[in-house]
Amino acid sequence: MTVGSQVKTCYATLKSIEAGLDLLHASTTEQDLKTTIDETSQLIKIARQDLHQQIIHIDKQEPQYKS
Amino acid sequence: MPEWISIIIRSIILITVLFFFVKWLGAKQLSQLNIFETISGIVLGGIAAFHTVDPYNSFYYALLAMFVWFIAAFTIEKLSLKSKRIRDFTDGKSTVFIQNGKVMEENLKKEGYSTDDLLEKLRNNDQFLVSDVEFAVLEPTGELNVLPKRENRPITLKDLNIAPAPDKEPQTVIADGNILLEPLANASLNPTWLEAELEKQNVTIDNVFLGQVDHQGQLFLDLYDDHITVPEPAQSALLLASMKKCQADLELFALATDNPQAKELYDRNQKRLQEAVRRMEPYLK
Repeated sequence: MTVGSQVKTCYATLKSIEAGLDLLHASTTEQDLKTTIDETSQLIKIARQDLHQQIIHIDKQEPQYKS
Repeated sequence: MPEWISIIIRSIILITVLFFFVKWLGAKQLSQLNIFETISGIVLGGIAAFHTVDPYNSFYYALLAMFVWFIAAFTIEKLSLKSKRIRDFTDGKSTVFIQNGKVMEENLKKEGYSTDDLLEKLRNNDQFLVSDVEFAVLEPTGELNVLPKRENRPITLKDLNIAPAPDKEPQTVIADGNILLEPLANASLNPTWLEAELEKQNVTIDNVFLGQVDHQGQLFLDLYDDHITVPEPAQSALLLASMKKCQADLELFALATDNPQAKELYDRNQKRLQEAVRRMEPYLK
């Protein structure tokens, strides 16, 4: 597994975490938990976008491994 | 009218009357009854018993006597709810046995408690040393309640400075294979959701003995058929685990790369994930 694909796996996990948080947000009735999820979701989103830039960067560096 | 028929009729009427009187007097536990309630309970029962087996007594007298006793007990109960003074008189007052860690000998004597009685009551409350007790009070019911000294109290989350996630009561939504609509509505869910959830776990509603929903909306099932194992809901645990894994991955990338710019990026996001895990952990555990 190249570094690029490893980072991409991590990116996918982040996406799945975001979806999981959304699911929890929809299924809970607790206002407290909802706000915490909102905050956390924002953090994950920023991290995901940041990582996306890195993926583009890696792909540019070694186009032969681009997937 | 033959006597035996009269006895049957009297019994049935008196049972009904007694039942309603006791119901109106309130459903306190027997040990919590004060002296008036105890006496009126016994007398009501006595009148009922006496007039059931004796067909020659006037039945109306029985009803009259029972009614008077009921009214007396009822009035005293209502009055004692209103006034603290009457309550002190009917229910009795609590007596302090230990205050600031010191035994109040006067109060012990007043209530007729010997040292052995006091020690026995303390032991009932898991206190074997008088010096461990800050405060102890004898309730009117004869029960001793004990407040241990600060250092001897069980540790709580507050002591440990841990903020727990708020926890609501679970709702029982399926009992004996039937959907209970009211608890389901309390959990702000509907039967369609329940059916979908059952389908997901691959069980029919007839097979479910008990189903409960926790505050996160996870469904726990117990089936009639104990050979089928139902997977325990692990959504939240899974979510937390994947967050931790992601954080660990990013940490690993940061260590593995030589490029300072990339290192900085991985590190930054790793910290974000760490913060996310810290925030969600109390809820997802």
